[in-house]
Amino acid sequence: MSAEASTAKRSRVIDDKSLSLEYHRSLWQDAARRFRKNWLAVGGLFIVVAFLVLALIGPHIAPYDFLEQNIMNAFGGFTVEHPLGTDDLGRDVLSRMLHGARTAALVAFSTTAISLVIGVLLGTWSGIRGGRTDQFLMWISDLIQAMPGLLLVILINTTLRRPIINWFDQLYEQTKNPFYLNTLWLDYVLVFSALALIAWPGLARLIRGQVLSINEEDYVLAARALGASEWHIMLRHVIPNALGPLVVAVTASMGGAVTFEATLSFLGIGVQPPNASWGSMLNEALRLWQVFPHLVLSPAVTIGIITVAFVFLGDGLNDALDPRRNS
Amino acid sequence: MASFLIIRLLRWTAGLFLILFVTYGMMFYGAGDPIRMMFIQGEDFDSEDEVVMLALRKKYGLDEPFLVQFGNYLNNLFRGDWGRSIRLQVDRPVLDIVKFRLPISMQLGFAATVIGAVVGISLGVIAALYHNRWLDRLIISTVLFINGIPIFVVGPMLLLLLVLQLKLINVPYGWSGLFHIDAALPVAVISISILPIIVRQTRSAMLEIKSQLYVRTARAKGVPEFWIIMRHMMRPMLTPVVTTLGLVMIGLINGSLIVELIFNIPGFGLLTIEGIKKVDYPIIMAVAVVGTLIIFISNFLVDIIYPILDPRVRAQ
Repeated sequence: MSAEASTAKRSRVIDDKSLSLEYHRSLWQDAARRFRKNWLAVGGLFIVVAFLVLALIGPHIAPYDFLEQNIMNAFGGFTVEHPLGTDDLGRDVLSRMLHGARTAALVAFSTTAISLVIGVLLGTWSGIRGGRTDQFLMWISDLIQAMPGLLLVILINTTLRRPIINWFDQLYEQTKNPFYLNTLWLDYVLVFSALALIAWPGLARLIRGQVLSINEEDYVLAARALGASEWHIMLRHVIPNALGPLVVAVTASMGGAVTFEATLSFLGIGVQPPNASWGSMLNEALRLWQVFPHLVLSPAVTIGIITVAFVFLGDGLNDALDPRRNS
Repeated sequence: MASFLIIRLLRWTAGLFLILFVTYGMMFYGAGDPIRMMFIQGEDFDSEDEVVMLALRKKYGLDEPFLVQFGNYLNNLFRGDWGRSIRLQVDRPVLDIVKFRLPISMQLGFAATVIGAVVGISLGVIAALYHNRWLDRLIISTVLFINGIPIFVVGPMLLLLLVLQLKLINVPYGWSGLFHIDAALPVAVISISILPIIVRQTRSAMLEIKSQLYVRTARAKGVPEFWIIMRHMMRPMLTPVVTTLGLVMIGLINGSLIVELIFNIPGFGLLTIEGIKKVDYPIIMAVAVVGTLIIFISNFLVDIIYPILDPRVRAQ
C-alpha cells in the first residue's frame, strides 16, 4: 500500500464517528452491520421480501384467473400471453404460481404464529416451573423431535380431516349456517395445525433454555431483590434478551413451513386441487415430465430458490445476532 | 453405566407406547370405520350390509371399547399378527406386505448412508483442515445450499438434467435391485439429502480436535500430517458423527417417502403414501409402528455406542 493511501485510510479511521463519544451502537445496529457484510444473507432477505410482497399483491397482478381453464390451449409452451406456459387444463402457470405464493406465505405465517404461541407459553412455563412439569414437557418435545416429521404430519393430517368434516356437518345441522358447508379452507387449517404440532417443540426448547440461562444472570437477581414480579422479569428482562435467537428460530420455522407445505402438497396430502400450491403443481407436472418438462421447471425452481433464500437468511441472521461469534 | 442404559431404555419404551397409543387413538377416532371402508368400494351398500357389518365388527373385535381394542392390538402386534390390509391389497397380512416392502427401502437407505457418510466425512474433514479459507467457505456454502433445496425438487431437476438434457441414463422406474442402474439416481438423491448433517457435524468436531494438545505433540515429534489425521484425529472425530444417526434415520425415512413416489419404487415410503391415500388403517398403523421403532432403535443404539467410543462419557 502506498504512503498516500495509508494516510488517507488513517484519516478516515480518525474521522470515523464511531470513535466520538456521542455515538454508540446498539446490539441491533451491530447485528445489522454484521448482516450487511454477508451478501448471501442479504440476497436471501431480498428474495424472501420479494416472495412476501408477491404473496400479498400477486393474485391482483396475475394476468389470468388461476382457475380459468382452456382445454384447447393445454400444455402450452412459454409464450408472450402465457410467460410460464399453461398446465394440463390450460390454466395459466404464472397466475397459478402467484396464487401458490399466497398459499405458501399463508401457511408459513400461520404455522409459525401458532407454534410460536404454543412454544413460548410451554417453554416459559417449563423453564419457570422446573421439576416434574419441565421433565414431562421436555420428554414430549424430545419424542416429537425424534420422530420423522413428515410421517407424523401425514398421520395427523389424514386422521384429523374426517373428524373435522363430521364436526362441521353436525354444526351445520344444528345451526343451518352455510358457513359450515364451505370446506375449501379445510386443507389450510389441517396443514397449519399438523405443521404447528411438530414445530412447537423446537421453539419451546429454545425459550426454555433462554429462560433458564437468563434467570441465572445478575441483573435478574437484582430485579428480584428489588421486588420485581415474575411477570415483570419475564417481560422486561427475559423476552428482550431472548429476542435474537428467537428471530433466527422464527425465520427457520417459516422456511421449514414453506418446505413442509410444498412437500405435503407434492405427496397429494396437503393443499388439494383446485387450490394452487407449488407442491401440487410440481406433482401434476411430474406426471408428464418427459413430454412437457417445461412445466416442471417453474414450481421446482421457485421452491428451490425460496427455500434456499430462507436458509441463507436464517444462517446470516444467526451469525449476525450471535455476538459471541464476532467478539 | 448399566443404570444409565436402563433409564434410557425405559424412556424410549415409554415413548414408543405413548406414540402407539396416540396413533391408535387418532386412527380409532379419525380414520373412520374400517369395516364400512371395506364395503364402500362402489359407494352403494344397503341395510342388509349393516347386519353383515355388525357381524364382521364383532368378528374382528371392533365393537369393543377403545382401550380393550388397543390392548388387543398390542397383544397381536407382539405375536406377529399385524392385521390384514383392508383396501390396498385386500386381506393380505400386513406383516407380509411390510416384510416385502421394508427391505427395498432399507437397501436404498443403507447405500445412501454409506455414500453420504464417505462423501460427507471427507468433505467435513477437508473443510475443517482449510478452516476459513476459500475451500472451507465453498464447502460450507454448497452444503447450506443443498440443505435448502427440498428433496422433491432435487429429484425432478436431476431427472430433467440427466435424462432429458445430458441423456446419460434411461428413465429410472421401479425397482430391479440395488445394483441395477435404475437405483443410482434414487440413492444419489437420498444421500444428497443426508449429506449436510454429516458434513456440518464432522467439520465442527474436526475443528475442536485440531487444537488439541496431543495433535500438537504428534506434530512436534514429526508424525507425518496424513498419519496425524488418520491415527490421532479420525477416531475422536467420528464419535460425535455417530450421534447424528438419529437425524440421518429421519432423513432416510423422509427421503424414502418422496424418492419412492418420484421413481415409483415399491418400498416402505410408497407403502405409507398408498396406505394413507386409501385410508387402509392396519397399513397406516404398521407404518407408524415401524417408523417409530426404527427411530427409537437407532437413538438407543447411539446411547449404547457413544460410551463405548468415548471413555469420558462412560466416566460420568
